[in-house]
Amino acid sequence: MSGHGIRIEGLKKRYGSGDTAVEALKRVDMQVAPGEVVGLIGPSGSGKSTLLKCLGAVIDPTAGRMTLGDETIYEDGWKVRDLRALRRDKIGFVFQAPYLIPFLDVTDNVALLPMLAGVANSEARQRALDLLTALDVQHRAKAMPSRLSGGEQQRVAIARGLVNRPPVILADEPTAPLDSERAMAVIRILNEMARKYETAIIVVTHDEKIIPTFKRIYHIRDGVTHEETGEGRAFA
Amino acid sequence: MISLAGRDILHAWGKFVFTGVGLGLLIGVTLVMAGVYRGMVDDGRALLDNSGADLWVVQQDTLGPYAESSSLNDDVYRTLLAMPGIAQAANVTYLTMQVRKEASDVRAMVVGIAPGPLGSTPGWPPYLVAGRQIARAHYEAVADIASGFRLGDSLRIRRNQYTVVGLTRRMVSSSGDPMVFIPLKDAQEAQFLKGNDAIWQSRRRTEANPAFNRPGVPGLLDAVIASQSANAFVNAVLVTLKPGQAPDAAAESIRRWKRLTVYTRAQMEGILVGKLIATSSKQISMFLVILAVVSAAIVAFIIYTLTMDKIREIAVLKLIGTRNRTIAGMIMQQAVALGVIGFVVGKITATFAAPMFPKYVLLMPLDTVLGFFAVLTICVLASLIAIRMALKVDPAEAIGG
Amino acid sequence: MKSLPIQRRTLGLLAVIVPLLALFVYVGLRSGPLAPVAVTVVKVEARAVAPALFGIGTVEARYTYKIGPTYAGRIKRLDVHVGDAVKAGQVLGESDPVDLDDRVRSQESASKRAMAGLREAEARQGYALMQARRYEKLQGAHWVSEEFAATKRQELQIAEAVLSAAREDMARALSDRDALVTQRNNLRLVAPVDGVVAVRDADPGTTVVAGQAILEIIDPKTLWLNVRFDQLGANNLAAGLPAHLVLRSRAGQALPGKVLRIEPMADTVTEETLAKVAFDTLPLPLPPVGELAEVTVDLPALPAMPVVPNAAIRRQGEQSGVWRLVDGQLNFVAIKQGASDLNGFVQVRDGLKAGDRVVLYSEKALTARSRFHIVERIAGISK
Repeated sequence: MSGHGIRIEGLKKRYGSGDTAVEALKRVDMQVAPGEVVGLIGPSGSGKSTLLKCLGAVIDPTAGRMTLGDETIYEDGWKVRDLRALRRDKIGFVFQAPYLIPFLDVTDNVALLPMLAGVANSEARQRALDLLTALDVQHRAKAMPSRLSGGEQQRVAIARGLVNRPPVILADEPTAPLDSERAMAVIRILNEMARKYETAIIVVTHDEKIIPTFKRIYHIRDGVTHEETGEGRAFA
Repeated sequence: MISLAGRDILHAWGKFVFTGVGLGLLIGVTLVMAGVYRGMVDDGRALLDNSGADLWVVQQDTLGPYAESSSLNDDVYRTLLAMPGIAQAANVTYLTMQVRKEASDVRAMVVGIAPGPLGSTPGWPPYLVAGRQIARAHYEAVADIASGFRLGDSLRIRRNQYTVVGLTRRMVSSSGDPMVFIPLKDAQEAQFLKGNDAIWQSRRRTEANPAFNRPGVPGLLDAVIASQSANAFVNAVLVTLKPGQAPDAAAESIRRWKRLTVYTRAQMEGILVGKLIATSSKQISMFLVILAVVSAAIVAFIIYTLTMDKIREIAVLKLIGTRNRTIAGMIMQQAVALGVIGFVVGKITATFAAPMFPKYVLLMPLDTVLGFFAVLTICVLASLIAIRMALKVDPAEAIGG
Repeated sequence: MKSLPIQRRTLGLLAVIVPLLALFVYVGLRSGPLAPVAVTVVKVEARAVAPALFGIGTVEARYTYKIGPTYAGRIKRLDVHVGDAVKAGQVLGESDPVDLDDRVRSQESASKRAMAGLREAEARQGYALMQARRYEKLQGAHWVSEEFAATKRQELQIAEAVLSAAREDMARALSDRDALVTQRNNLRLVAPVDGVVAVRDADPGTTVVAGQAILEIIDPKTLWLNVRFDQLGANNLAAGLPAHLVLRSRAGQALPGKVLRIEPMADTVTEETLAKVAFDTLPLPLPPVGELAEVTVDLPALPAMPVVPNAAIRRQGEQSGVWRLVDGQLNFVAIKQGASDLNGFVQVRDGLKAGDRVVLYSEKALTARSRFHIVERIAGISK
């Protein structure tokens, strides 16, 4: 989709003002290329969630710069008018719990995003079906989310994250509720999808099992990111 | 775009329908309450319709014969008949009493109807559902079906037995008591007839009065006693007008020349609805208002709860970029759908429950339509609270921590 | 595209919603003002009505004899009680004569005294006659003067006048006595006819005024009914018509009777015609006077004509008429009513013919715009 993935430079976030102000993010620098999956690791209170919310355009950063593909979406203020559309079209979300809409079946859960963007129902469903097929859950396409296993639900959630072909996907603890085998499967899928759809994927996790699978990891501690590239992080 | 509200309802339709049915029962009670009020008003109107009169001539300066007691000499109607513009004038008596029916008794309004040509004498029941109209001048009765009498039953009014020869429907007094029609002369007697012991005591009292029991005037005592037990009074004269007569003009001329009080149909309705049932109807309408408020509160609460259950999904929907309008629409559509189900159930419940009430419950189509819009308005207003809450939901909540 | 779960859910939902909506529509159309009015229909028949008149009356005796003293006085004795049978001429009681006997005795003495006066006057007259004759002869012989003889003649005339006065006095005294005796006899209460004592108003010792009735005697064989008929429809009432009489004490037992006469004076207050109806045979035991009775008089049967039950007759504006059913439409037809009978059938003189179908009963008042459906009988009426 884009040649640049996501780039974050000097992102700051301060809550409150004056004496009581808290600097949740002091300096965040990240860069994820299309097709790349990076891990974002940090202890509780490190600013992990705040960063995710800033990236997901649900809270406003205080300063810095964010570029999505070729487009600078934030530079000391949002450069995009419709954050909702931005979230819908440019950012995919995969959550710790799948958070599928319980009253929509699997296909419609996935197809909802293109529909919200104004794509015709049949085309949106076709896109969803294609993705579900790619994720190997097409046999559950008409099932309700409550009938799916945890792994299946997470795959549907990934499909939903991907359906609008966003340049970036934010995955928040996607493997937390899963055992290690399934967790590995999810990471494998994320990697496959990142390659297939040229998407930059940021996986926020503190799951020890999967940390070794990332080629690149960003540690965040006290609102500051540190990049780490380690040997043996390659994953086939 | 798919209908989120519709999908949500379909997903949990059992819960939704049961909630709707519960709400419907409440709406049904409200509709019935409105019906009770309308029924009261209609009882008053039915009384006026069934009497078939254009004018009611009553004792001077009284609000009779329904709201106050009124007493007229029973030959007044003859002088009225002689007035221009008057087609028919007929005496009538009304007496609310317990009518004995074998072992038990029923509350009824006994109406004494004057003999006259069939179909044109005011006061007669205008239609029957069984049997026939009174054909004998004495001891026959036409009873309303609500009194529980059947054809051929004999009923007891004071000391006389009457045979039920006909049955009516919706012939009720303004307080909803069934009517029993009997010939005027019997009714006059019944109205003023005292108990046998009372008659005896009254005779003794008269005998003890030296003014009436004078040794030098034999026969005076008998004459006095006879005059005491006779009754030449009726409660009102029902008057019908010739075609083209203005009721107000005719009423005015009777008022002026006969020194009697006259009410037209409109005035009578004003007395019945405005005075006779004023407090009870206010009571009912007060109750109706409370029920409506309670219903509204419950609808608001139900919708609020339904929305609260979906707070997580709404956060997700917002996070993935659903517009506020779509979310608001979803909640409002659900509220309206709930209202519609509730209304339908309520209307059905009310209709089937209405005949079970001892008094008349009138469900008017206009009330139903108003009720429908009221329910919709209440649902929309109630959903606004839920919508406000849903719109306040922070999409960030979907992202843990 | 549809898969089973959705379909099942949709079907389930439809299974609830569709009947609900159907019920709703039914409820909307079948109740309230939009609902059709249930009516029953009857065919007009041509037949004879036997009109009858219904009235109520009281048992009365044709003659009532009120017996009382002609003079004020105290009742001395009363030999009969209520219910006693009495014969004509029987003494029933007596008023206390008080001083009447003494006055009779006094009159007897007075008449004896008058008798003595008469005898004295006769004696005087006899002597005066003798003297007058003697002096007549003497004067003829001129023994005495003419004047002397004239004096004696005058004395005779005076004695004759005195005698005549004494005679009249005697007659007066006798008549006075006779009057008192008659009066004395009149204090006795005597039955004028055979009958039964119906009322005894006073007991011995009571003082009564002249003319006050103490006893009432009736002749039970003359019991009849004084009946009141409403003037409406009473025009065919005539003497001789057969009647059925039901006494209040004997409900359900109709006794045959006959109209005896129609009173020429009607009651203006109650607007009733009065008539006397007699029993064909008196019921035994005899009904008490004053008992209430219902009387049905059969009027002569009328020729066959179209008749409708009176329940079919309605009022529409100023007209009375019936709702006629023609080709599934209801039209109001004004009719002219004729005679009616006590079973509620009314002759139709004008407006309908036999075989027409008219509305008999209806659930509600009908109007020209009413929707209706014909039923066997109105709901809620049990047979």
